[in-house]
Amino acid sequence: MGVPALSVADDGDLIARYLAGEESAAAELVRRHATALARFIAAHGAPDEELEDLTQETLFKAFRALGTFRGGASFRTWLLAIGGNVLKDRRRRWRRNQVVALTPDIRDPSGDPGAQAEAGWTAERLQEGIAKLARLQREVFLMRAQQGLGYDEIAGGLGISEGAARVHYHHAVKRLKAWIA
Amino acid sequence: MDRMNDELPPGVGEAWKALEARADQRAARVDVERVAAGVVERLRREGARPSRFRWITPATLRAAAAVVVLVAGAAVVRMATRAHEAVRLPVGISAIDSLSSGQLEAVWEAAGEVSPVADSVAATSAGTSLDDLSEAQLEVLLASLNGAEG
Repeated sequence: MGVPALSVADDGDLIARYLAGEESAAAELVRRHATALARFIAAHGAPDEELEDLTQETLFKAFRALGTFRGGASFRTWLLAIGGNVLKDRRRRWRRNQVVALTPDIRDPSGDPGAQAEAGWTAERLQEGIAKLARLQREVFLMRAQQGLGYDEIAGGLGISEGAARVHYHHAVKRLKAWIA
Repeated sequence: MDRMNDELPPGVGEAWKALEARADQRAARVDVERVAAGVVERLRREGARPSRFRWITPATLRAAAAVVVLVAGAAVVRMATRAHEAVRLPVGISAIDSLSSGQLEAVWEAAGEVSPVADSVAATSAGTSLDDLSEAQLEVLLASLNGAEG
């Protein structure tokens, strides 16, 4: 006999429950999305000491704005778009003190010291390149390359057309390729 | 969801994997329970829960209906007056990555630009993808898409 399937509330149910006054639904949504959001923010170049604060700030702003969430994209994508806005406000400060020195834990699995140094250098260059992209290019690139989102989903989250999302992505890839060459 | 590492060009793909590994490690150090507690605490302290329906009253519904009628009317007038001058793109925006070389050329022309790759595109019989376009060409395409949206 099979094990009965557990009923897992989808994001829409949790949002409705939070809006109806159930505080624990907000905590559950945070547990569900905080790590992916933190990864997205980290890949933008946020420094370690600000990562948790930025994650919390983004989630707080999202819950405050939940009444405007219309479901044109998933809750996760909407959250990432809000994260992009929060990051915009901090980016100027990061530019002043060039952040996220990539540490030696970026290593080539072969263990070859030369390859490790090369991997670390190109990753650092890529991080710099991502920081130099135009905002929409950066967000589309990270949503696709990191979160694996389709262009339709990205377009819904960022309020642009699907064609524009494709062009921004290709633009970003070309710039990054040139930057690390 | 799967990440899209495999569609990145050589060089960028390897660097991206290394960067991703670092982002994963850093994200794993974020204490999710502490974040959840912090968010709930701030919501409790700083703000009432948003209500989706608080603003819906008979008066706002009447105003919204009036706005819809006005906007629809304006759209009909605009379509009628612009019908002759509208530049129509030859393909749907959603299918932009699968455009043939001829269709891409038509998009350049619609954007009022002469494609600098006209010769090379014409020389190939295979379909052209966005990967083949230069940055300048991508800019032109993006401008034409934005124009088509507006």
